[in-house]
Amino acid sequence: MKSITYGQLGTVCLLLSIITGFVVGYQYEVASPFVSTTAIEATLPFGWFWRSLHFWTSQAFVLLLVLHIVDAWNGIKSRNVQRQAKIHWTLISLSIPLAVFALFSGYVLRFDGTGQAAGAIAEHLLLAIPLAGNGLNRLFMAISTEGLNRLYLVHILAGAACWLAGTWYHTKTVRVNSVVFCAATVFFCLFCLFIRAPIDLPQGHLHLIHGPWFFLGIQELLRNFDPLAVGIVFPAVPVVTVAILPWVKKREIKIAYLVLLLWTFAYSVVTLEGILRSG
Amino acid sequence: MKSALFWLMGAVLSWPLFSFIDRRRYRPPREQRISMKLKPGQFVVEPEFVLFQTVNGPVAVSRTCTHLGCRINYLEDEKIFLCPCHQSRFTSKGRYISGPARKDLVTFRVSPMEDGQGVTVYLPA
Repeated sequence: MKSITYGQLGTVCLLLSIITGFVVGYQYEVASPFVSTTAIEATLPFGWFWRSLHFWTSQAFVLLLVLHIVDAWNGIKSRNVQRQAKIHWTLISLSIPLAVFALFSGYVLRFDGTGQAAGAIAEHLLLAIPLAGNGLNRLFMAISTEGLNRLYLVHILAGAACWLAGTWYHTKTVRVNSVVFCAATVFFCLFCLFIRAPIDLPQGHLHLIHGPWFFLGIQELLRNFDPLAVGIVFPAVPVVTVAILPWVKKREIKIAYLVLLLWTFAYSVVTLEGILRSG
Repeated sequence: MKSALFWLMGAVLSWPLFSFIDRRRYRPPREQRISMKLKPGQFVVEPEFVLFQTVNGPVAVSRTCTHLGCRINYLEDEKIFLCPCHQSRFTSKGRYISGPARKDLVTFRVSPMEDGQGVTVYLPA
C-alpha cells in the first residue's frame, strides 16, 4: 500500500463529515435549532454518536487540510511550476476559508450560548465590510433577519463545495483507499464513544463565552481593535499569502514565509490568551 | 466566444438571482406582554430585554450588545449588564460603562396594559 497522505486522510474525514451531516440533518430543525440539537444529543437513539462523529470528523478535516497544504507546498516549492498549476494552487487554497466557514457555521447552527454569540459576531463582522458587507451578509448569514435558514443552506453548500473542490477540481477523481477509509471510520467511532461533541445552554455563560477554538484569537483581538481590521483583514492575511505563494519570486519567498510565521505566532499567542481568560 | 457567452449569461442571470436573495421578508414590530405587576426595584429577564420597574415607571433595556450583537446578561448582585463575549459593561439603565461597545444599550417603548396588571413592550421590526 502507498504511504498515507494528509490529503487522503482529509478526503476520508470530509466524506465521513458529509455522510454524518446528512444523518444529523434528518432530525435537525432549522426553526428550533437548539431544541432539535439537544433532542439529537439527549433523546434520539444514537443521536449523540452521529453528532459527535459529524463534529470530530469536521474538525479533523480542517486540520488535515492545513497539513495537506503545508505538505503539498514542501513538495512543489523547489520546482518550476507552470502558470496553470499556479492558478490551480491559488484557487484550491481558497478552500481553507470555505472549510473554516463550514466548520464555523456548524457551531452557530447548534444555537447554544456559544453558537448564538458566534453567529451574532460573525454577522456584525460581515456587515463591517465596506460596500460588499450587506450583500455578503444577505448571502451567507442574515441571522438577525432570516433566522438560521440561510446559514444552514450555506453550511451544506460549503461542505459540498469543499468536496467538489477537493475531488472534481483538485484530483479529478476520488482517491479514497478502502483500508484507510475503514481504519479512519473505526478510529472516529471509537473516539466518539469517549469524547462527545460539546454543547452548552443558551444562557449558560453569565460572565464569559469562549468561542470556537479557531475563533478564540479573533475574539481576543476584537476586545481592543476595529472589527474590520481584526475580524476580516487579519484572518485573510495567511489565506492570501498561501494563495500567492507560487507567484512570489524565489528571492522574495522568505518574506512570505516570515509573514506566515509571524501570523501563526501572533495568532497562537492571542489564542492562548483567550484560552486562559477567565472573565 | 463560448466563454464570453457563458459570462454574459451569468451576468444577466445574476440580477434576478440577487434580487430574489436580497428580498427581505416583512417582519412587523412585535408587542410582548408582561402580565406581572412589578414593584420598584424588581425586574424581569426576557430573551430580548430586561424590564425594570423604577420609581419613574417601567424601563425595558435591550439585551443586544452594541459592540457585536452578543446577548448580554444582567448581573443582579452588581446591578450591571455584562457582555459575555468581550466584557462590555452597562448600568441597569443601559448606560455604557466600559469595554469595546462604546455605545449605550437601546431601550424599548413600554406602556401599561389596559387592565393595569402588567405592561406591553414594543419591539421594533
